[in-house]
Amino acid sequence: MDILCIEHLLKSFRESEVIKGISLSVPEGSVYGFIGENGAGKTTTMKIILGLLKPDGGKVTVCNETVRFGMTATNRHIGYLPDVPEFYNYMRPKEYLRFCGEIAGLTDSSIGKRSDYLLDVVGLKKTDKKIGGFSRGMKQRLGVASALINSPKLLICDEPTSALDPVGRKEVLDILGQIRGKTTVIFSTHILSDVERICDHAAVLHNGKIVLDGTLSELKAKHKKDSLFIDFLSVSDKALFCEKLPREFSGNIEANEADLILHSGNLQAMEKTVLQILSQNDIMPRRFEILAPTIENLFLEAVQ
Amino acid sequence: MKSFFSFCKKELLENYRTYRFIVLLAIFAVFGLMNPIVAKIIPELLTTVDLGGITVEVPEPAAIDSWMQFFKNIGQMGLLVLVIVFCGITAADLSKGTLINILTKGMKRHTVIYSKFTIAALLWTVSYLLSLIITYVYTVYYWGSHDLPYAFLAFSAPLVFGYFLISLMILGGICFKSLYGSLITTGGIVILMNLLGIFPKLGKYNPVSLSGGTLELLNGQKVPGDFIPAVIICLILTVSCIIGATLLFDRKQL
Repeated sequence: MDILCIEHLLKSFRESEVIKGISLSVPEGSVYGFIGENGAGKTTTMKIILGLLKPDGGKVTVCNETVRFGMTATNRHIGYLPDVPEFYNYMRPKEYLRFCGEIAGLTDSSIGKRSDYLLDVVGLKKTDKKIGGFSRGMKQRLGVASALINSPKLLICDEPTSALDPVGRKEVLDILGQIRGKTTVIFSTHILSDVERICDHAAVLHNGKIVLDGTLSELKAKHKKDSLFIDFLSVSDKALFCEKLPREFSGNIEANEADLILHSGNLQAMEKTVLQILSQNDIMPRRFEILAPTIENLFLEAVQ
Repeated sequence: MKSFFSFCKKELLENYRTYRFIVLLAIFAVFGLMNPIVAKIIPELLTTVDLGGITVEVPEPAAIDSWMQFFKNIGQMGLLVLVIVFCGITAADLSKGTLINILTKGMKRHTVIYSKFTIAALLWTVSYLLSLIITYVYTVYYWGSHDLPYAFLAFSAPLVFGYFLISLMILGGICFKSLYGSLITTGGIVILMNLLGIFPKLGKYNPVSLSGGTLELLNGQKVPGDFIPAVIICLILTVSCIIGATLLFDRKQL
């Protein structure tokens, strides 16, 4: 079942068209990476899903209920973590979670249990100072806890790691990893290594359109190119190698100073030829590697 | 309804922990104390000043002088303090983004407006009553018990005008999402109402007359009929501002 469905979504701010007909569906239980450069329309899309912005066209359904602008009914299925979550600085974490729980309509006893559990998960159980004294990383972790207080079916995180240092980033990604399977997560980012680490689905948003969409393994398989990377010890080695390389492989080369990448439709034949040339000419490369497609390559390819 | 009370609780905590409520209480308590004391002392001070042979006849201070001070202080400084304390009532929550978390938990937008108005009006009422009670106790202490004709209407009027100012600040905050927007809306409307004061015929319909004018009920210069239309208009405007703010907020892109 798809937990979130977006159909032909359109949104402009004055003259500029930000979202130009996005359609996508997020299957239940997935961790969905929503990738795009700054200004690609990620936050706008998320705010439309939450009913905070009014779309110019299209339809959004969450758990088969249509999202209506200004109304908050569908938000009971959703937990939202903004990119820089803002809290009431005079509250303590437990008070804030209690407040969020009450707003979400939880009972007193379940608020107590749930907030204890979540504060433990995000590592804030022993913190009793006011939120005003929190670091950015702590606020982000509290944000995750508050987003999960109502046990939402869908967690929407807007660039949850982009403002954090490496330790904070790892902590937030670990928390998101922990809830995998229990909650569907949509996770917008421009940090591609984060997507590779925790997502199983991804969509690339570019200029207001989805240019790539699918499971991570599907995407990688579809965009697989047989490429061979060779790093030579010297520029002269590389020059000699290029000289000996038969014409059928020399047509598709990305060359740098002392290394090069060969592309071919037939990886095995290419490998065999390359190894032969290397051994016949006594060229000892520093590194010899078959390149697998990375999310970064897929992204760059998609947005070019 | 549960989320209304939760949000009210949050507003109370906010006003308590950010010292807003304490400041409001302290200032209004000081006003309450000052009114009778100033009324009592000023004539005595004037008689002790050497005016170079000019004799100033100062009438004996009376209870009404204390109430004159009360309406002057509350109607000017008191309302100014109210505006300063509550001008960020909706603007801060909106511009900082703290409300986003709460709205995405399923809280209805109009509940935010109702809760904010309820708590601000409650704190204003408590502060105002504190000032009123202190002034009353000291006035009775200095001048003994005295007649206060149409006291209910006279003393309710500034309170009602305060509710109107709160609703204006909420509406301004929602419209402009900024503290200055809230201040300019409130200030602008009050200045406009003061300008309307140049038409004496409009006086009895002008809510600004409630911000201190009802002293004239106590000293017998006016009758309730001179203020009741303004009270009704003020209440209608307050309700309209609140309804306007909820309608606007429901349509606001955040």
